[in-house]
Amino acid sequence: MYLEYGWDVRYFFLPSKRNSSNIITDSEEQSGHSEQRASPARLPFGKKQLPPIPKNAAPITKPASTGTLAPSANGTHASYGPFYLEYSLLAEFTLVIKQKLPGIYVQPSYKSALMWFGVIFIRHGLYQDGVFKFTVYIPDNYPDGECPKLVFDIPVFHPLVDPVSGELDVRRAFTKWRRNHNHIWQVLMYARTIFYKINTTEPLNPEAAVLYEKDVQLFKSKVVDSVKLCNSHLFDQPKMDDPYAISFSPWNPAVHEEAKERMFTYKRRPDDHHKGTQVSGLSWVKPGSMQPFSKDDSPPQS
Amino acid sequence: MSWLSRLNPRGPGSRTGRSAAPSGPCTADPETCLMVFENHWRQVSWVLEQQEPSSSSDDLTAVRNHTDQMLCLLAEERPAESAEGGAAPMGPILELVVTENILERLVQWHLRRGLDSDSQGALLKLFEMLIGQSQQQPLLQHTAVLHPLLRLLGACADPDLGCPLALENSLVLLLNQICVSMARQPVVLEMLFRAAPAQQGSTNLLIFSLLVPFIHRDGAIGQQARDALLLVMAASASNEAVARYIAENSYFCPLPPPEAVSRASSQVLATGLSALYSSLPRKIEVRGDDWHALRREDWMSVSSLVLFMNSLEFCNAVVQIAHPLVRSQLLDYLHNGFLVPVMGPALHKSSVDEMIASTAYLDLFLRSVSETSLLKTFLRFILLHRHDNDTILDTLLTRISSNSRLCMVSLSLFRTLLSLNCEDVMLQLVLRYLLPCTHVMLSQRQAIRVTDLYGKSADKFLSLIPECCRLNAASSAERDEDGAFWGKVVNSPSIESPAPPRPSTPSRLAFFIRQQSSGGGPGGGGPSTPTSTEPPQSGASHPPCPDSPMHQQLANTECLDWDSGYLEYLKDSRQGIEICSWACRDWSAPYDGENPSPNVAAPPPPPPTSNPTMAMFPEHFSLQQGGSGSTPPPGQQRAAVVAVARSEWSSSERDSGEWDVTIGKNNCISLTPRSKKRSLQREEVLPKPLPRLVPSSSSSSSTSSSSSSSSSSSSSSSATPLSSTHAASSPAPHNPTSAVTVGYQAMCNGMAGQEDGCSDNRDRGLEVKKVKRDLGEQQYLDENANQNGSLVTCSSQGCAALPQSIFNDSEMSDAKSPRPNQIPSQGPVAPLVSDAKPPAGDASKPCLASSDLPEANQAQQSVESLIRELLEQAPGEPQLPGDSNGQGISIEAFTQELRELEDRVRERGRAACQQEETARECLSSERRQPQQEEEQQPPSVPEPKPPTGDTKGDGPALVFGSPARPLNKPASQPYTGPFMVVLFAKLENMLQNSLYVNILLTGIVAQLACYPQPLLRSFLLNTNMVFQPSVKSLIQVLGSVKNRIEAFAASHEDFPAMLKKAQQYLVARGKVDWADSPAAVPNLRRSDSLVKSRKPSLGELILRHTNSPTRARHAAQLALAHVRDGGQSLHSALFKGGAGAGSLEKQAEALRVKNAVYCAVVFCEFLKELAALAQEHAVTLPFPHSQEAEE
Repeated sequence: MYLEYGWDVRYFFLPSKRNSSNIITDSEEQSGHSEQRASPARLPFGKKQLPPIPKNAAPITKPASTGTLAPSANGTHASYGPFYLEYSLLAEFTLVIKQKLPGIYVQPSYKSALMWFGVIFIRHGLYQDGVFKFTVYIPDNYPDGECPKLVFDIPVFHPLVDPVSGELDVRRAFTKWRRNHNHIWQVLMYARTIFYKINTTEPLNPEAAVLYEKDVQLFKSKVVDSVKLCNSHLFDQPKMDDPYAISFSPWNPAVHEEAKERMFTYKRRPDDHHKGTQVSGLSWVKPGSMQPFSKDDSPPQS
Repeated sequence: MSWLSRLNPRGPGSRTGRSAAPSGPCTADPETCLMVFENHWRQVSWVLEQQEPSSSSDDLTAVRNHTDQMLCLLAEERPAESAEGGAAPMGPILELVVTENILERLVQWHLRRGLDSDSQGALLKLFEMLIGQSQQQPLLQHTAVLHPLLRLLGACADPDLGCPLALENSLVLLLNQICVSMARQPVVLEMLFRAAPAQQGSTNLLIFSLLVPFIHRDGAIGQQARDALLLVMAASASNEAVARYIAENSYFCPLPPPEAVSRASSQVLATGLSALYSSLPRKIEVRGDDWHALRREDWMSVSSLVLFMNSLEFCNAVVQIAHPLVRSQLLDYLHNGFLVPVMGPALHKSSVDEMIASTAYLDLFLRSVSETSLLKTFLRFILLHRHDNDTILDTLLTRISSNSRLCMVSLSLFRTLLSLNCEDVMLQLVLRYLLPCTHVMLSQRQAIRVTDLYGKSADKFLSLIPECCRLNAASSAERDEDGAFWGKVVNSPSIESPAPPRPSTPSRLAFFIRQQSSGGGPGGGGPSTPTSTEPPQSGASHPPCPDSPMHQQLANTECLDWDSGYLEYLKDSRQGIEICSWACRDWSAPYDGENPSPNVAAPPPPPPTSNPTMAMFPEHFSLQQGGSGSTPPPGQQRAAVVAVARSEWSSSERDSGEWDVTIGKNNCISLTPRSKKRSLQREEVLPKPLPRLVPSSSSSSSTSSSSSSSSSSSSSSSATPLSSTHAASSPAPHNPTSAVTVGYQAMCNGMAGQEDGCSDNRDRGLEVKKVKRDLGEQQYLDENANQNGSLVTCSSQGCAALPQSIFNDSEMSDAKSPRPNQIPSQGPVAPLVSDAKPPAGDASKPCLASSDLPEANQAQQSVESLIRELLEQAPGEPQLPGDSNGQGISIEAFTQELRELEDRVRERGRAACQQEETARECLSSERRQPQQEEEQQPPSVPEPKPPTGDTKGDGPALVFGSPARPLNKPASQPYTGPFMVVLFAKLENMLQNSLYVNILLTGIVAQLACYPQPLLRSFLLNTNMVFQPSVKSLIQVLGSVKNRIEAFAASHEDFPAMLKKAQQYLVARGKVDWADSPAAVPNLRRSDSLVKSRKPSLGELILRHTNSPTRARHAAQLALAHVRDGGQSLHSALFKGGAGAGSLEKQAEALRVKNAVYCAVVFCEFLKELAALAQEHAVTLPFPHSQEAEE
């Protein structure tokens, strides 16, 4: 992800308004993919190809990553299990991308598809300007197991975040993880929601809950402190030693300018493009007509 | 002439040298040049001014010599220095030329004295040199140059003078030069148009009309002409002034230049294509069992095809560059002047050979055309043009179910169509049938968009890999626990992934190539390498022995990762899906079950009625009928007896006419097919009349019969779970006994299923054979195979047409109903039928026959007797076992007769059609009854009827009452369209299909499964979807194939060994293909590698018509030899009983076994492919619309 190149996301993202953040989301996805496919050794950005493939194929082809995965109990073809698990997670990740969750970015770890790194940008409300890094842990019997865990790198001061471990109380939202109904993007969405709509029932951090109920002012100042603390550690090395871990660095035009440019101009195309012009896809169907050759205008020029 | 020869632009290097600063006296000293020029001119003008043009050759020679010198000087002259830097003034020589109008006078003089070809040629060359060389000054911009030039050209265009053959080259060169300078100096183009009125007619037209005759020429001259034309087109397209001029002038000129240009040229182009097309070989003689499409190597050596392709390419180029006006006109002419009048009829020719050829041509054209609008013209023709009431598309669809070669060619064409990722095509083929969402249960509609996140569908697909195939791998390998066998056979793919470059074209045989590429790798080890080359040669001589290298390789490979093969499939799938979804990103709608809304969707056309089919496809039609249980009464008993053997044969050979050809050791067989086939077809005509026998009452109900019958047939053959009765007996094909039953049923029941039909037919074939007892066994076999194949055609064709929906019904009822009576049943039976409501199937069967009322009988009889006559005569010819003797001729004669016969029959059929309307009405009313009775599955019952008949027939719409159906719409049965129906029917029949049919077939289904549109994706890949009972799902079809394979394996104890050998063979074959030039054929997608191995280009085999039988035979033998030492011998070696193994039965059995074993291999790979596709769909991101993405 671009983040690891040390962009100061605040410079980059925070000033941007809604619409631009959407764009960023898109490009983020793309660069994210490229990352995933890249070898762990960091390459200079300029040399990197931005592969168009959105899916994270890399782990599959790497015995190392597949090896760590427990075969799922899926179906009769236990031997295909790893594929199913990998693809389920890929599909989840694809869903995340499709959701275009505002201010949320995730990236599966290099070592395991079951661990995702992420960051949330809070743009208004009590936690405004907060940039919280977190990690999602997915149970290896996914999707039949518990709901995923989401742990903030630095325990944010929040009623639902464990003040010691930094773990978010996800389970209250997903009492029972139901395949086909529950998806990881929902967890991420939930993680974002808690910062905008604060719930104090059965808190993991009773202090925060009590303060919020009894002394909002104090709560607010604690939150501000917490946000400051988090942001002050923004440029720290990632907690996890993983090539795909998210890391921040101050804005450096020499490094980031071009990358940013490429992200904004990048257009995803299919991987293999040899088929020539006709791949452009032909259609002379007038929208809504469902009749062949119903478009009046001259045929599209390829 | 020395000047000329020196400066001759044709001389080597002259072209490039032109732009270089001219050397010689003129450069050095313009003054001197002028003096020299004047000097020459004086002498020339002296001759010119003589009142009486002398005929003396002295004069001519003198003038010519001087002219040469003068024009060289002129050509080399540089413009005068201009002080102001404005337009450079003319050089002194040019000025003189202009003021004295020298060129004009020269040309006039020549014309006056009568232009002999010699001086005409000299003039042409002179002008060509002048224009080509004059880089310094834009000579053509001066009327003093232009007009004489036009005058000269006018002379060339003069009908009296004309342009002698010898001068054509010079003329075209000159025209080419003119066009080149036009392209460089658009002013010239303008001037040409302006000069037009001055000349007789239009100048522009003149140039075009001179060029146009050459554009279809072979060789350099044609190329130059085409280039020239393209240049002008391009220039006129980009030049605003000319375009305006064109537009403005189109009023006062009846044939205004612009119009004229485009009209003349495009007309010529289109008609030229038509003419060229007519000279293409009508038959494509190919021995290869796997041949299914024309590749470049194939046509490069066929001059007529080369010529055609050049012209097509030219059209493509013109479309690309020409002014929109010109383009649209050209496209218009192509459509109305070539496609409709020539291609349309060609595709509907009644001989199978011609169908094969024209289909292959169309496929080739589609693959060759690159311009979108040209492609559109072709597609529009295919999708919308109606030839005899049916669209070309419909016609092509029916052919998929035909016998193998036609089927393969048709499949190949559809593969091409699918690969275009064209919305219009997909809409017509599949999507419009899925749009109303009537194929799924109402409650399932939302599920259409659901993606399978957890690999459930993939799991389901993989679970269908037959146990026997896994066992195969496991039994010999240490690693028994692996589910997938493929990895064992293969070398480790893990090594392979970084390894050798893949062919750029994804190939159906990719599996095998894959194996092979890895096999050669380090992991493969020693044994594998030899193996790859060895099997082809060694196989021929030695039968496979356990110690053969193949086995070693096997052993070697057995310890490899099973899942790597799957990984490859995942990669391929991803790529396929991405490319496809990228290509579909500009479609008008997502086709996700909501947009377009199912309620708005126009009801898809109902399944075709039998009639049209008949009209357009007589042969098959007739076949169909035969298949549909018109079985001859005597057939019944005999059927029981014979059916066993027959069914065996048919099942194995049905689709594999080619197999015989290649396998058979005698050349005779291999050589005969074409004519033989034809004769066979004729024979098949026999069945046709039979249906007529059916009582009129039943016939009345029969309208839909063809469809229903075929449906029932397919269902029965498929041993679908649905078919209760059949199921019992169903393992049919493999199991002799069961086969018998089936056959019997078929016969009894008019409804015979496909198999039944086959057995039927077989039967008939048998009869025929009896007549020809004397024939060689071989021949019999061959014929049989062919016949079977054709039989298949009929029945499956019917299937295509029919609504699947009928399946259940007809099937069930069918199974239960008292069939025995039916067949022989004439009048009396009819009542029975209707009562029993013998399913639509029954009633419908006769549908074709419907028309045959009483007279039908007569007709039929007469036909029969005719045929008998013919057969009696026939024996002599077709059967020559040796075949090498001039059988061709006699066969042709025979064919001719048969054709006439056929025509007669057809005519009758047509007459019958007219009566059909009535019949249909009866039918519909009849049909209602059953429906009510079988309310459980209301939707499935009625098959879609012809729209017209419908409304009336179903007055009580309640019967159908599906709530979702909007008012006014005809009751629509869930019907997934002829394409899906025929593909599934074919797929269900996999076990009997030849290897190559299966490879093409699975390739097409996989290609369809790449499409990201949820409607299509859910239909094919969502195994959890609940469809309407009448709609067969892919998983159901595959399930029945799996059962059959397992049944087959159970009945053959050596199945595991054979399976291994088959895999081995395919791997080896893949290697051969691979080695042959992976990247050579980028145009052809998928499975091209299949054909790559044949060294002598097939083109040699494509002979013009039939007029050189000897050559044909010779070429065929050659090819056969090659095929033989290629994989073929291995083939036969692999399966004992192969070539020449002896008795007829043995061969038949061998064939059947071979097809089944190959089927097992392909089937397993196919399942993995589908599983991979299902998985990849879940992780694919859509591409944004290209406008949004603003590329």
